[in-house]
Amino acid sequence: MTKRIFYIITLWGLLTGGSLIAQDKKQKMWNSEKIKGTQFIAYPTYAGTPYLSEKFVIGDIELTDGTTIRELGLRYSSFQDELIYYNKFISKQIVIDKISLKGFSFDNGNGVKRIFRSQDYDINSHEQRFFEVLSKGTTSLLAYRKVDLESCETSYSKFGLAYQPSYRYYLYSAEKGYSTVKLTRNSLLSKFDKPNQKIIKRILRKNGVQITDEASFVKAWDLVSESGIKLL
Amino acid sequence: MKKKLLILLILFTVFTGKALEKKHFALFSDRDTYASGETLFLKVVAPSDEPSGVVKVDLINSAGKIVVEISKKLTNQQADGFIYLPDSLSSGFYLLGTTTKISSELTFKEIYVSNRFTGIPETGLALGPKITNQIVEKEVPEMQIQGLVQGYKARDLARVTLRLPDSFISQISGNLLLSVSQTTPGYNPATFSANLQPLKDTVIEKDGVIVEGIVKDLKTGEPFKNGLIFMSIPDSLPRFDFFLTDTDGRFNFNLDNYYGNIPVVVQGFDKNEKRVIKIAVKHPEVMTSGLPDFESRTVTPELRKIAEKNNDAITFSKIFNQKEISIQPVQMPKKESYPFYGLAKSVVYPNLFIDLPDFTEISRELLTGVKFRAYNRIPTLQIFNSSQHTYFNDSPLLLLDGIPVRDLSVIKNLGSKEIKRVEIIQSERHYGNLTFPGVLAIYSAKADYLRPVESDELVRLNVEGIQPEASLNTVLDQKESIPDLRRVLLWEPSIKPEQSINLDFKVSDIQGSYKLLIRGTTRDGSVFYKEQSFEVN
Repeated sequence: MTKRIFYIITLWGLLTGGSLIAQDKKQKMWNSEKIKGTQFIAYPTYAGTPYLSEKFVIGDIELTDGTTIRELGLRYSSFQDELIYYNKFISKQIVIDKISLKGFSFDNGNGVKRIFRSQDYDINSHEQRFFEVLSKGTTSLLAYRKVDLESCETSYSKFGLAYQPSYRYYLYSAEKGYSTVKLTRNSLLSKFDKPNQKIIKRILRKNGVQITDEASFVKAWDLVSESGIKLL
Repeated sequence: MKKKLLILLILFTVFTGKALEKKHFALFSDRDTYASGETLFLKVVAPSDEPSGVVKVDLINSAGKIVVEISKKLTNQQADGFIYLPDSLSSGFYLLGTTTKISSELTFKEIYVSNRFTGIPETGLALGPKITNQIVEKEVPEMQIQGLVQGYKARDLARVTLRLPDSFISQISGNLLLSVSQTTPGYNPATFSANLQPLKDTVIEKDGVIVEGIVKDLKTGEPFKNGLIFMSIPDSLPRFDFFLTDTDGRFNFNLDNYYGNIPVVVQGFDKNEKRVIKIAVKHPEVMTSGLPDFESRTVTPELRKIAEKNNDAITFSKIFNQKEISIQPVQMPKKESYPFYGLAKSVVYPNLFIDLPDFTEISRELLTGVKFRAYNRIPTLQIFNSSQHTYFNDSPLLLLDGIPVRDLSVIKNLGSKEIKRVEIIQSERHYGNLTFPGVLAIYSAKADYLRPVESDELVRLNVEGIQPEASLNTVLDQKESIPDLRRVLLWEPSIKPEQSINLDFKVSDIQGSYKLLIRGTTRDGSVFYKEQSFEVN
């Protein structure tokens, strides 16, 4: 009997202690995460998806003041180029102010970290966009994961509108700015002068790289980038 | 058994040895005697294990009252700053004290201040601190001062070289303090340490001063849980922060990287809007528990003579508007690029339109989507929700010069002349876990943050933030016709220890005894010095 009482008291103590710690953590969390944003208004439903991921994914955000906030439920809206986070304390989806964000990242589910950064697309209009960093270097390979709302056959979407991916790819350096690139071998070669094109062809051949999709283009770009060949 | 005893003995020795390590703060000032109206330069070296990032330095009078308090940021455990000695100080012995908010160690240095208008009292008696635990400074013979002569004439240029042996440089912790200043023969005030009762439930200051306090239930007097506390700093880009209290009712806000005098408004209310609360902001006088006793002392004739001579010099330097220090402009780290409530799409400048007498008229005539009405003398405010095409049911966040206002009557009588601009946000905004059903931010023409009335739920403060960096003005190209009345000829608080250090300084017109002094701390926390005196005739 004494033993049973002892076990009950120990269990009660553990549970109470755990609950107090959790409460304290919750209170600290309440006071620590100060993200600025606007209420998310759901998009109209059409065929296709306006989001990069179907569900909220756990990721980190980095604010312009250098603060990093970890393990937030994030969802990137490719349609509006905005980042939505789920605030579990108030149970709301909030669009984080783009101006306050330096970037965000999340795991794609296969252990690969996807990194997005916010940067000026047009210096004159100060238009900021989120770009996925496919390859980082003096010249980075960026992807703008845009989804457009386009007209389509009503048999495909009952309103005659559908969300269609319209991804754009750029080579970006701070000095030269943005240079559009397509996911083809010719587009990649066109960014270099004639003598270097030959070298690049040789590098790709030697490494058995054939550009057919985004992954192979990134691989090809990484090889070219490593070789130190300069862009036009 | 023997083995166990041996282990115990070793452990005892290790712990006792650790306990005996010198852990006091080192505190240096440019001189020992001052006149009111002068600036005192100081340097603090914190113990190596001090976790705080901010150090406090207080000027305390013989009644134990803190006259001036400054906060300095520690860089590599060192900080240097200054204290303006107000003209209201009466002649007497004072203490400079230094510690941090969480330390149990306190270091005092005695100084003498004479009021430049009243001089030293005829009785020659003053209350001075009883010295215990004096910090002994060790002279370093291996450090050499070369080129300094015994006597200089006014306005001579002195060129000095300091030689430090490599073996000694490796023992030095941090940077050296080099100073050349007038001395008071026969007056050698002590620097001594004391123990403090560390403050309970306080927050460590890392990057700036912390505003902290407690909220209590007004009815029961008990600490209040779920008190939602707002802190605002009115500015062109207002700072806002919030804190939700726990069962202890405590809150704190970190004014990281805020310098100089900061107007702060702290207000709070029950998150569930059920109870009335009372806010109390703590301003702990950290040093009071470690103050020494004061005893009657006689002011020596030498001290009186020097003090009286200096009082005249200070008055003259004030007449010639000679500034002792240059305060360096503070590079505020870019924290916010837009207001916490978001960028307003609609901004209205009422003074560009016809003059309207009150806010009801302004909202009716100029502010689209803002419904401010004062029926039956009870004002109501609503903002149009542009995404839902209807008015929000709840009141929006109303800000007056960046300060949240809950009492709408504060803005009721604001007319076009009183308002500079109005920013309107017609969507649901979020700041952390706070939700604002629209925002109405009014910026007054006079930027008068005194409009919200102080109450149990609203406290206005003037917080002294981190003191900005400053340097001594060394007048090297002063005209011959203007007297040079400096008593501090050199103050270099952060010189990197090297084998050879060259110093140039110009002697002023004030005659008397001077001292070149090099001070620092070694890795074990001991204070060392090297000095050489000279006369100016």
